[in-house]
Amino acid sequence: MNAVKTSKLVKEFNGLVAVNGIDLEIKKGELFSLLGPNGAGKTTTINMLCCLLKPTSGTASILGHDIIKNPFKVKDLIGVSPQDTILSKHLNCWENLSLMGEIHRLESKELKKKSEELLETMGLTERARDQVSKFSGGMRRRLSIAMALVHDPEVVFLDEPTLGLDPQARRAVWEYIAELKGKKTILLTTHYMEEADCLSDRIGIIDEGKIVALGTSEELKRNHLDSQSLIISAENFGTKVIENLRGKYSVVEKINGGLKISHKDLDFKEVIDYLYSQGVNIYSAASEQPTLENVFIQITGKRLRD
Amino acid sequence: MRIWGISKRNLKEIYRDPVLVAFLLGMPIAFMLVFCAAFGGQHVNPTSISIADEDQSLTSSAFIDCIENVPAFKLNEIYTEESQARNDIENGKIPFYLLIPAGFEEANQAQKPISLELAYKKADPMIGQLVKPMVEAATLMFLGISPPINIDLKGTEVEIKNETINFLIPGVIVFGLMVLIFTAASRIAADREDGFLARMLTTPARPWDFILGYSLPLILVLIVSTLIYLGIGITMGLSIIGNIGLAFLIFFLTGLCSIGIGMIVGTLVKSESQSAISWVIIVPLSMISGALMSADGMPTGLKNFANALPFMHAVDASRNVISGCATFSTVLPDLYYLIGWTVVLFTAGIILFRRRMAS
Repeated sequence: MNAVKTSKLVKEFNGLVAVNGIDLEIKKGELFSLLGPNGAGKTTTINMLCCLLKPTSGTASILGHDIIKNPFKVKDLIGVSPQDTILSKHLNCWENLSLMGEIHRLESKELKKKSEELLETMGLTERARDQVSKFSGGMRRRLSIAMALVHDPEVVFLDEPTLGLDPQARRAVWEYIAELKGKKTILLTTHYMEEADCLSDRIGIIDEGKIVALGTSEELKRNHLDSQSLIISAENFGTKVIENLRGKYSVVEKINGGLKISHKDLDFKEVIDYLYSQGVNIYSAASEQPTLENVFIQITGKRLRD
Repeated sequence: MRIWGISKRNLKEIYRDPVLVAFLLGMPIAFMLVFCAAFGGQHVNPTSISIADEDQSLTSSAFIDCIENVPAFKLNEIYTEESQARNDIENGKIPFYLLIPAGFEEANQAQKPISLELAYKKADPMIGQLVKPMVEAATLMFLGISPPINIDLKGTEVEIKNETINFLIPGVIVFGLMVLIFTAASRIAADREDGFLARMLTTPARPWDFILGYSLPLILVLIVSTLIYLGIGITMGLSIIGNIGLAFLIFFLTGLCSIGIGMIVGTLVKSESQSAISWVIIVPLSMISGALMSADGMPTGLKNFANALPFMHAVDASRNVISGCATFSTVLPDLYYLIGWTVVLFTAGIILFRRRMAS
């Protein structure tokens, strides 16, 4: 059974289509990342899946339970860390975690054990008895994630979990999420390509309410980057050599005293052999590794979004 | 229990917020002190009355003496000509005057009708309305006819120390408890505005968990503020002649109705600032319920409307119980109204909350 399944999911707000027919299947134990520019429909999708918004049309289910027909069963199974860090500000860490635990009817022993564990993981033990209104943004976000996990949900929605965290805290959260992999089904949205790349089993790129690319990070890079690049550092490129290269390959640009050559199905050996034959003294030649960001920009374009 | 979890959170959010605590405790205290100080004085200051006596007769002098003996009046100026009095009104020296026209004695002896005139500044019509019945009463007294008013105080064994206070305070308490509409609405609205409610809506908590979870801490606020109201009231001279427990029950149910209305308003509005719309409910309702002024003179339609709502029952029942004119059985219909409205309001709140859970 799929942990999350959506079928032709649509959400319109006063005629504005925010989510436009999303079909998703996330397996149990999978960590799935939704990547997309601002306003692409990531949060709206998550809000529908956690029963905060009713879809305009289409259906979705969590572990087989329909989000419209059986919302309370769905809410029993999920844990949500919203995009904005939302806590009860006059409560301390323990009390915020207890609130979530009590609502999910956790036994007090279990609640205490789980809270201790999460506070430790999130580095909040020392400040656990302080009112969260005195916390820094990073501490609040770590507590917010802990609140989504305290009741040991089967499906976890993490909407930009590391937004605003410093690198140390971000890495700590990543480690924790990586530990959860396989044990929980996680749907994560993020703007950090590195985060999606290193954590996800699969990635869906969403733009203007539609899934425009779907697959593992490797698949996306392989299928969506239509050219390879070679970066060559050398002593004596002649103007003629460069002109010849430009005639043969689609992109040839000078960078930091070297050359970057990009072309579909670029034959590296052919380039190196040619340069040797022209007497160019090569120091180094390296193929440029494609990044998820290259894929993301190629698919979604460079246009700024609202 | 989910309700308990949500209630505990809401109670902590209330008592750990110093501004909110200051509002919730300070408001009843300030409210009672201001009202009692302004309107609850043991002796109302006598109204200064000026008289233009154009008759200049023994009878008119006797009439003036009579007015002077009315405790509510303090004799100010006596003019022999109306023009002088008119002049003083225009100069702002006096607020109004009573004209005794020439021929007053003659008409009196011949038992013919004659009009007394009360002249006041057009800019201040209230003074005319205020003084007219007092002058009428004084005139009736002078002419030797007893005023046709029967004052019937039943079952009052202990003397009411200050009738004004006893009239005012139950109404002020009901008004104060109506402010809970705003307090309740703003609690939900604030959580909706900062997204906390949305987060809670991703949990399996049911609509009644939320409505009761928000209401229970406010019930504690209701109990504490009612005790403050009654405590200050007694200090300020409120005489509780009837059963204080029954009075407390009436106030408690009134507060529940207010919280119920607040839950509905809080469910419907989108932000904390929008919860100020509660005042559009509180102010007119308090007026037509007779909380701050007598609602006896209202048009029948409006009175019937007010009577269908809970607060007029709360005002009447609490006044009657506190002044010892009513027992449990006599206010039972009012209690039914209050209980019925509480049930209706909370049910409506839960239904509306459920509807708004997924939009």
